[in-house]
Amino acid sequence: MVDKKKLIVAIVGIAIVSALGASFLLYIGQVDQMTQDIQDESEVLSVNLPPILGSTTALVTIIEMGDYQCEMCKRWYDNTRPAIIENFIDTGKANMFFIDYPILGPDSALAAEATYCADDQGKYWDYHVTLYDYQGHMNSGWANAERLKSFAFNLDLNMDEFDECLDSSKYDERVKLNWQKASAGGATSTPTFIIVNTETGNEEKIVGAQPYAVFEKAINSML
Amino acid sequence: MFIPLLIISEHLFLEPYIIFSIYPESIVNFLLILILSIFAGIVISMNIFRIRQIKKTNKIGVSLFGTIIGASAGACSCGPVGFSIITTFGTAGGIATAFLDMYEIPLRIISIGILIVVFFTSLKSLKNECKIKS
Repeated sequence: MVDKKKLIVAIVGIAIVSALGASFLLYIGQVDQMTQDIQDESEVLSVNLPPILGSTTALVTIIEMGDYQCEMCKRWYDNTRPAIIENFIDTGKANMFFIDYPILGPDSALAAEATYCADDQGKYWDYHVTLYDYQGHMNSGWANAERLKSFAFNLDLNMDEFDECLDSSKYDERVKLNWQKASAGGATSTPTFIIVNTETGNEEKIVGAQPYAVFEKAINSML
Repeated sequence: MFIPLLIISEHLFLEPYIIFSIYPESIVNFLLILILSIFAGIVISMNIFRIRQIKKTNKIGVSLFGTIIGASAGACSCGPVGFSIITTFGTAGGIATAFLDMYEIPLRIISIGILIVVFFTSLKSLKNECKIKS
């Protein structure tokens, strides 16, 4: 006779493996959805080029690959970004753009779409800053459609235009393309940064919410 | 255990330069990692000693359980570990990392509590079991 205890352990084990398998398939489905049906890349890019923070002629470009729900991205945003803005962006030595890598769930992708809707009204970076200022726990509802619209309202955006943009998933393709770009760029976590010298093409990858000193050294080595 | 936890919690970076950083909001997190690592080191060593000396212990499992809870708490969902968990286990991994991330501090405190209890019970039993008969 089979030991009752062993039978229970086996049933629980099978249940856990099945649940993990189902969850994995669900996730793969989500990733497929994020990466399939991308239209012609140039067509998508022509819809909305990545908004650049700082001088377009700066020698160094900082590319951030991040997720609006990522806690470490916020840590970097709070502690390192201000000094970079002050010492490199505002002085014209570097510029910066953000590539959405919404790995942490549907609200991440929606938040990324909302930033492009804000960009339609010239407030991409204001909206970007608002999202990080008001970041809550992952998938807790802080970045659902309703909250995203309220952020837009607080920034005095035209709400009819913003609502129409967000509800119609106008920038769905754009965010999917960013996901692909970040993934192809070797990002396996957020935030991931690539510091590029636009003249020589030299680049340095920085992974994680690293302190200002690291960025200072990397950027200065390229100036 | 201390070094890997510092790397996972993004206090210690090895690339492109070796650098250690503590931001004001992560001081509590760092202190909890430090306390957890100290207790885990003491308790696991005590239990290994106990196994080697008297060939039996029922506390190693509990101490490992406490250590694993504390170590896995705060496995940031957007860090390399959390990312691997999400890509391997999908939605369940996402929910698990979100939970571990959200309750990082309470989970670490619970695990330190478990390790403290195991420490004192192990100490007591070692005193009794290793007493030299006169």
